Amino acid sequence: MVQKTITSPIKAVKTDNKQDAYIKAFRWMLLARISEEKYASLYRGGKIFGGVFVGKGQEALSVSLGVSLRKGDVFAPLIRDQAARLAFGETLLDATRTYLGSRLGPMRGRDGNVHRGRPLDGYLPMISHLGAMIPAVSGVLFARKLQGTTGTVGATCIGDGGTSTGAFHEGLNLAAVEKLPLVLVVANNQYAYSTPTSKQFVCADLVDKAIGYGVAGHSVDGTDLAACLEVVGNAVEQARQGHGPQLVVASILRLAGHGEHDDAHYIDERLKQSSMGQDCLKLAENFLLEQAWANSTDIELWRNDAMQQIEEAVAIAQREPAPDPDTEDWCALATRHLSDGFIE
Amino acid sequence: MPLIPIIMPQLGESIAEATVVSISVKVGDQVQADQDVMEVETNKAVMGVTSPCPGHIKELLVEVQQSYAVGAILGYLDVSVEDATRMGFDELAPAANTENGGSAPHQQTAPTSKKAVQPTVGGLPVPAHATGAGYMSPRMKARMHDLGLSAADLSGVAGSGAAGRVTIEDFEKFLAQLEQQKITPASSMRVAVADSMRRSWSRPLATVALPVNIDPLLTHRKATDPKPGPALYALRALAIALGENSAPAGRLIGGRIVHPPAIDVGFAVEAEDGVLVPVLRNVDKVKLKDLTVRYNELVDLARQRRLPPSATGGSIATVTNFGTFGLTWATPIPLPEQTLVLGMGAGRIVPSWDKNLKQFVPVTEANLTVSFDHRVLDGGGAGRLLARIAALLAVPGDL
Amino acid sequence: MSITYLEAIREAQAKALADDPRVYIYGQDVGDFGGAFKATKNLAKEFPGRVIDAPISEDAIIGSAIGAAIEGMRPIIEMQYADFSTAGFNQIVNHAATLHWRTQVPCPITIRLPSGGTAGSGPFHSQSMEALYATYPGLIVMTPATVEDAYSMLLEAVAIDDPVIFCEHKYLYYHLKAESLPTEAMPTGKARIARAGRDVTIVAYSAMVHEALAMAEELATEGTEVEVVDLRSIKPLDTDTVLASVARTGRLLAVGEAWPWGGVTAEVVARVATEGFALLDAPPQRLNAKDTPVPFHPNLWGTHRPTARSIAAAVRKLLSY
Repeated sequence: MVQKTITSPIKAVKTDNKQDAYIKAFRWMLLARISEEKYASLYRGGKIFGGVFVGKGQEALSVSLGVSLRKGDVFAPLIRDQAARLAFGETLLDATRTYLGSRLGPMRGRDGNVHRGRPLDGYLPMISHLGAMIPAVSGVLFARKLQGTTGTVGATCIGDGGTSTGAFHEGLNLAAVEKLPLVLVVANNQYAYSTPTSKQFVCADLVDKAIGYGVAGHSVDGTDLAACLEVVGNAVEQARQGHGPQLVVASILRLAGHGEHDDAHYIDERLKQSSMGQDCLKLAENFLLEQAWANSTDIELWRNDAMQQIEEAVAIAQREPAPDPDTEDWCALATRHLSDGFIE
Repeated sequence: MPLIPIIMPQLGESIAEATVVSISVKVGDQVQADQDVMEVETNKAVMGVTSPCPGHIKELLVEVQQSYAVGAILGYLDVSVEDATRMGFDELAPAANTENGGSAPHQQTAPTSKKAVQPTVGGLPVPAHATGAGYMSPRMKARMHDLGLSAADLSGVAGSGAAGRVTIEDFEKFLAQLEQQKITPASSMRVAVADSMRRSWSRPLATVALPVNIDPLLTHRKATDPKPGPALYALRALAIALGENSAPAGRLIGGRIVHPPAIDVGFAVEAEDGVLVPVLRNVDKVKLKDLTVRYNELVDLARQRRLPPSATGGSIATVTNFGTFGLTWATPIPLPEQTLVLGMGAGRIVPSWDKNLKQFVPVTEANLTVSFDHRVLDGGGAGRLLARIAALLAVPGDL
Repeated sequence: MSITYLEAIREAQAKALADDPRVYIYGQDVGDFGGAFKATKNLAKEFPGRVIDAPISEDAIIGSAIGAAIEGMRPIIEMQYADFSTAGFNQIVNHAATLHWRTQVPCPITIRLPSGGTAGSGPFHSQSMEALYATYPGLIVMTPATVEDAYSMLLEAVAIDDPVIFCEHKYLYYHLKAESLPTEAMPTGKARIARAGRDVTIVAYSAMVHEALAMAEELATEGTEVEVVDLRSIKPLDTDTVLASVARTGRLLAVGEAWPWGGVTAEVVARVATEGFALLDAPPQRLNAKDTPVPFHPNLWGTHRPTARSIAAAVRKLLSY
């Protein structure tokens, strides 16, 4: 039996106090934004191998999923889910170590940037082929169904582009057929790399696909944290109650390039000026101030705290060793005695 | 204050270089961490390059509108010691690099060019046919190596493979059959001679002969004390002839003839079940009477197998008196490192036509042979050499 | 009492289901229908809820197996035909095969591929795909040739913590019979000397082992004794046994039903040429299917792949070197 190990406690966020919940979510968003800004800067400073992919503009949607999940749920985050990861329990150090290629990170240098996770702690490391994580999370839920486990959900995120893949279709369909407690959050940020949604699908709204699969569909304005907390929280609850897969589609605008190597010059200026183009973090900050749930000093304190956390993580990870090719264990099998001795 | 480099970042997976489009700082400017110091353009985007930590610009190495490779050093930042250590720069010299997360990917530091590994063998020659009587499979070669055999040892094996190839089955059968016959060990001398002759035979060898009247030589010898061996007369004559023209004893290596450095000549002495070849040095410069004592000495030492190393090796030709066995004709094989061997047959009294007396008269005649590497020498050259030797032997007193 | 290759596979699955509650079977038509080849006949009834029908979604079938394995299950996935596994290729080679290497969490899934041709099955129901999967690190590839190995190696596949591609041969399903199921077996990773010989080594796997054995009998009447090595698994590939055999015979012919370029036979020849160069009395040879898709018409199909006759011809040529 594969042993599970829990490394970091995940803060349970189920609270009736809307203010507390909002603030907690906001602070995760802040940490996500600030840490990703640091990664982007490190990238432009030549300190990061491969790519950096940030979730700027997506934090409200992402954090809503993270705070709605509980310990024991299973989560397969995708590339713009820093906020959800942090809220679900991934440590900043794990993320930073993976980006900086530290041997001590969860992937030990064998995979990098957003391809990270701890399967036994309930969050699966993605593979690059979009859509592939939907069957994988469904598989975990399928196993739980066979084992008779109830009360847990599985969640994964995908973008507008990923909904075009065969794996998206097969995964969601299979989850529907088996009535699995899957929460599939589609962040429609209008662009898949440089491809606008007009080249991705022609249905009126992605949430209409829910009808096609026979599952529940939910729409939400991804820039509005309060709306996200409610809609996503509700979808998670529906799944948890056994109502089968829940498709959540949020409309937002990607506020960065596809990766930090991309300057996103192709994004339509009109979208940037529209309400969808507003920064969810800024809107949430304004909301806090308007509601007097926090003042600017609080926010400044939180911001500094976030900066300190990421600086600390970077300082630690930067000092750590990279993987050493000479001492690396070049074996891809768990069953070592079946390793083919005649291959170099 | 330590300097750390500002490096061209990797701006996208397949990007190899970027062009600087603007520089927003100058030397001496104070900058903060993560502050944009210049903008670069790839085919995908215009991006900012940031300073890694606070400091001031010490040096800028780039120009606007020029392209630089990913990892290239764009300038240097003068920073505090604690910042430098935090960034992981242990060396305080410029172009410092580290192994941990602080180093830049694809970094090119000082212009160290990668040395290409040069192959030691510039392509092995491919045999024209990998089948046929001469071909030995890897398995054959491995077995022969284990047993200390060479291709010459297999000359008695009939091949049943394609085009007469000796297969491993043929070989193993041959060995098995050998085991059933009487076997005695060969001396190391025998094995050494075998190897030497095999190597020599790899050249195209030919022999020419000239019958020579040796009565003058015999007469001279009778009247001399100590008596020089008949072979010594031939040896001295050979040396004089080679002293006049050393080309016949040259070696053909590649497209060039390597001339002998000195006229050192060896002579064959039978010892136990093999042959030793002691050497007389610079024989073209030493008269016959001065060679005799040394020659006799060397013959004795050889028979006792006590030749010192200085008395063997380095000879450029050899003389062999096969006449001592009563043989009138032979085709000796030159040493592998030499081009020719001069042979002397047994003397016989034969009738020879005397034009003056118009009748046959008895003379003592012996065959002189030259066996030679036909790549270096042709029949004509060999013939002329023999003729010269014969002429010299006609006046033994001048040798 | 005799048992077919297919029945052995069914018995092994029954035993796996009975012995380990973590095992389940998932694939198209495997439930009440018993599977396209009846490899799971009656198992859904015998083990309710554990032999489950899947939609036609190879990516999701395999992707979900990976998730289930992370959650502690040991799924046996039946692809209806090996040829369809390419629809789930991404999950096999990029997800299952990399999971342990990337995360240290093993992926104990078994994927059964009904492989190989039968007359009339055509290009998309005949393929031998073992080399394709063997190329990817992190996978184990089994190719049982006997009823006994079909049984014991499938049980071992389920027990192994890594993803196993189990290539069962459709022609052997009903054509190969044995007296009884084995009680013990050679471990995976060891090849078997199917026939001891003297003059030439034939390295083969799966159905080709039987073609080689058939022609070995014919050649024995001519005085040639052929040694046949059954690889049993191609990854890991038991190079030691192959080299020991070539050490005895000096000649090698590798035979495979798959296509020529870079296949199992190429791997065998490469290993013998590099590690056993001094053992060879003749250049190593290989015989594969023709470099075209697998044809439909039995006349064409009969020539497309190696047969006892074409193997014998290759052996005679090798012996005449």
